[in-house]
Amino acid sequence: MSWSRRIADLLPGSITRDAGGTEPDPRFTFANERTFLAWSRTALALVVAGLGIVQLLPPFPRVPVGRHLLGIPLIVLGAVLAVAAYVEWGRSQRALRRGEPLPQSILPWILAATVTAIAVIAAIVVLVSTLR
Amino acid sequence: MTVPPPVPPPAPPPGPPRPGDDPEERDPGLARERTSLAWTRTALSFAALGGAVLKVNVVTGLLILAVAPVIWQAGRVTRGRSQAGLPVVGAARLFLIAISIVAVSLLCLAVAVFGRSAPGALR
Repeated sequence: MSWSRRIADLLPGSITRDAGGTEPDPRFTFANERTFLAWSRTALALVVAGLGIVQLLPPFPRVPVGRHLLGIPLIVLGAVLAVAAYVEWGRSQRALRRGEPLPQSILPWILAATVTAIAVIAAIVVLVSTLR
Repeated sequence: MTVPPPVPPPAPPPGPPRPGDDPEERDPGLARERTSLAWTRTALSFAALGGAVLKVNVVTGLLILAVAPVIWQAGRVTRGRSQAGLPVVGAARLFLIAISIVAVSLLCLAVAVFGRSAPGALR
């Protein structure tokens, strides 16, 4: 499948127009929508956490870029999660319309991997700034 | 004289329910109510983020705060659509949220990188 086709598939309208199948149970549609909304709130919380780290924390002694090292990945992760949540919602909605099993979600994996990486960076920054 | 066999009750139509069905028959409004509340929470999250950014950069904060009523209004559309029997999918609204979050995080990234930090605001 070409990239332009893939991107066109993500645009609103194509999901309802050419997905095939029948309109699923409204409860499933609502549940899928709520899952997307919950992920977007998670994304917003990550953005606000990243901005708070960069702008509100006092600088780390001896690690001048420490706050940016922690905050900017969090803000980027927020943007990535928002897009990934939308893609995931479209895939789930297609599967619901066609009566197929729901696809495996990659969002928990993205979140867990990035938060783990940021926690490791935070531990290193704190160690370097406290130890001589 | 033969007794006619009892007429079986009409079987429910096979397959998944169709768009004309009233969702209230299966789940009395609860799924829609929960979704409506989730939209409200999402709009409030935008407002909270805008309020937090307001302390750092006034223009960016006001821009993000202005998104909140738009999201709130987009969530209210659900009710009318599902009552009219239309499909409740509405991909455009969810696309709007995804685009808004990307725009908001780019704004926050600019504020974080180029903005004058308020060091020790939490000291």
